[in-house]
Amino acid sequence: MSTITFENVGRKFDSVVALEKVNLHVRDKEFVAIVGPSGCGKTTCLRMAAGLDFPSSGTVRVGTREVVAPGPDRAVVFQQFALFPWKSVYDNIDFGLRNKGVPSAERAHRIAAVLKVMNLEGYERSFPHQLSGGMQQRVAIARAYVLDPVVLLMDEPFGALDAQTRVLMQEELVRLARVNPRTVLFITHGVEEAVYLADRVAIMTRRPGCIKEIIDVKSLREAEHWNSLPRIEDVMDLESFVHLRTMIWKSLREEKVEERN
Amino acid sequence: MSARSSRRPSNLEIWALGIGGLIVFFGLWAGLSGFGLVPPRFLPSPAAVAERMFFLIDHPFAGATLPQHVLSSLGRYGLGFLLAAAIGVPLGLFMGWYGLLDDIVSPVFNALRFIAPIAWVPFAALWFGTGVGGPIMVIFAGAFPPCLINAYRGAKFVEPKFLEAAHTLGAGNLRIIVEVLLPASIPSIVSGLRVGAGLGWQSLVGAELIVASSGVGYMMVQGQSAVSTPTVLSGMIAIGIVGYCVDLGLREMEAFTRRRRGLV
Amino acid sequence: MSRGRRRILVGCCAALALVGFWTFSTSFSSFISHGRFPSPPQVWEAARQIGGDGYADANLWQHALHSLRLVILGFLVAVAIGAPLGILMGASRRFDAFITPVFSLIRPIPPLAWIPLAILWLGLGDGAKIMVIFFAAFVPSVINSHAGVRAIEPHFLEASQVLGARGFTHIREVLVPGAMPMIFTGLRLSLQASWTTLVAAELVGALAGLGRVLNVAQQDIYPAMILVAMAAVALLGWATTRLLDVIESRAMPWLPARA
Repeated sequence: MSTITFENVGRKFDSVVALEKVNLHVRDKEFVAIVGPSGCGKTTCLRMAAGLDFPSSGTVRVGTREVVAPGPDRAVVFQQFALFPWKSVYDNIDFGLRNKGVPSAERAHRIAAVLKVMNLEGYERSFPHQLSGGMQQRVAIARAYVLDPVVLLMDEPFGALDAQTRVLMQEELVRLARVNPRTVLFITHGVEEAVYLADRVAIMTRRPGCIKEIIDVKSLREAEHWNSLPRIEDVMDLESFVHLRTMIWKSLREEKVEERN
Repeated sequence: MSARSSRRPSNLEIWALGIGGLIVFFGLWAGLSGFGLVPPRFLPSPAAVAERMFFLIDHPFAGATLPQHVLSSLGRYGLGFLLAAAIGVPLGLFMGWYGLLDDIVSPVFNALRFIAPIAWVPFAALWFGTGVGGPIMVIFAGAFPPCLINAYRGAKFVEPKFLEAAHTLGAGNLRIIVEVLLPASIPSIVSGLRVGAGLGWQSLVGAELIVASSGVGYMMVQGQSAVSTPTVLSGMIAIGIVGYCVDLGLREMEAFTRRRRGLV
Repeated sequence: MSRGRRRILVGCCAALALVGFWTFSTSFSSFISHGRFPSPPQVWEAARQIGGDGYADANLWQHALHSLRLVILGFLVAVAIGAPLGILMGASRRFDAFITPVFSLIRPIPPLAWIPLAILWLGLGDGAKIMVIFFAAFVPSVINSHAGVRAIEPHFLEASQVLGARGFTHIREVLVPGAMPMIFTGLRLSLQASWTTLVAAELVGALAGLGRVLNVAQQDIYPAMILVAMAAVALLGWATTRLLDVIESRAMPWLPARA
């Protein structure tokens, strides 16, 4: 089972309490987005699921096992892409597979498949600096996907892209998720992005962060057949979408206002 | 958590490992020399070296005590370095400002600068014998390039908007150089001074090995001729300590100027 | 005319003026006596002598080759040990904590200060020279490799962990390429230090090599030969540095081509 469970998770940095009593359960093959004001600790949550950081109290579990170290079963897509500049696109994607000990014939096959899905065919030999931001992030996603990870952790993956590219990537991610569903934890600032992509949206309070509210999007998406609309603008035009978005916005606003006070 | 403990080592661990390293180092040294595995001519025990060093502090060898040798060395080092800075920094600034001066001096400078400072020693010997001029010249050759280059870079790459502001405020050339170019280049200049000081110190040691009649380098060469390894090692330790202190002082100055400029 | 061309013109004029002044003051006037600084014709004579019959027991090529061999040998041994050491120190904080205090004891000692000790240990032969070159080239390699690894941005290191890279793979495929630019800076500094140290060591005492030429010329009071030897050292130093530059540009094919 590929679930992610945060149980009463707390995190202190010296004397600063970043997270307190975070409780969240991501179900198998569910896409959950966490939104919240800057500095609320949402990235820290993701890093703990990845094994790049550890809770001061409480436990973080993936499946039934507690997270103790990073690994390819919990693939991460970073905001700044983190593609190795000295490796070609092909070698970047190949890296994780080699570390897992996958035999070479199978590696070639899997890489070819993922390149096709991510529209990267023809760019195998290119180096990251030769690609645009959007393409680099596609390689990063490919690099994570090719590992067939138990869970996929995405840390504001489209934050470094310009607005138009971001929209296109969101559409692509939805297409990918439909073809290859997987448990995903997605961190973002963008409320619209969260509503468009996720099954459930978790709203985090400002520091010390905890999950304030969880909004169910999936039922509404299925009821209103958002998936039948190919373009993101059409979905964002729907009244149901706007309603959800505004609701989440308001909830976030409270956090911002309190912060300022 | 098991994995967590293998992450960042604690300060205590760092301390312990550091001390452990030092213990291994001195232990090996003492062991090799103490158990006669290496003859004392090659590796005197740490105790023998310490003993010799204390001896040299009071008793002259090769013409002077250790502190006196150090002072001689520092004296000529100071002179050579001051000369390099006093000529190099203003010249660099003016070269950064006046393109014509730059065009004239640069080619000559670039041709000469690849000559290792130590290569000037034969000429220094020829011109100054074993007098104090020799080492000073070699120190100058070592310290001069960084002082010049950094002052030059600092002046040349001053943000144009500062110069524009100065011009619109009616400042003449000299005033701009002194009141805008110089202050703006200070971080670069101080950096250059630091590198120059290091290179100058290295050049000093080299020069003193060959063309001096006093100073720590000279003492070491005499120690080598007399096959007194503890003397040679004492000299190396003294040089290391002084060099470190000089660099520390300049590093502090560098950090100070950066803090004042808000560059940190 | 354009700035660039003016620069070249002025540079040439200045150089010519300098050579002219040099020739005039040494040959035609007694402004600078011959014993102090050689005139161009004298330098030419000295160059011919050492190029042909030889000087200080060998001709120019033999001396140069001798020096070059020592530099390359000392340099290669120093980098082969120093760069991996620096990389390991960058990779493991524990290893770094263990080695750094000892390294800090060695580091402030200027490379040339090892010369008397080297002579005590290994005499005036090649071995002593290589030892000194080793200590000179070792330190910059360690420092720069270490700094290079530490300078790698954290998200690359995290990506490597997430992608499951274990120890040796992580070092070979992430740390080394990531630190490459700074490793080469260290190599360049090491090479420079190697040449400086070799010349100094040979000046103190040697049986062959360009430093020995300098030494003998100085004792013979033969300034023209001194100049020839200095020029030879500078030329070899420049050539080896250029070679390193070429190797560097080949070693990092992933960098965007510089304009």
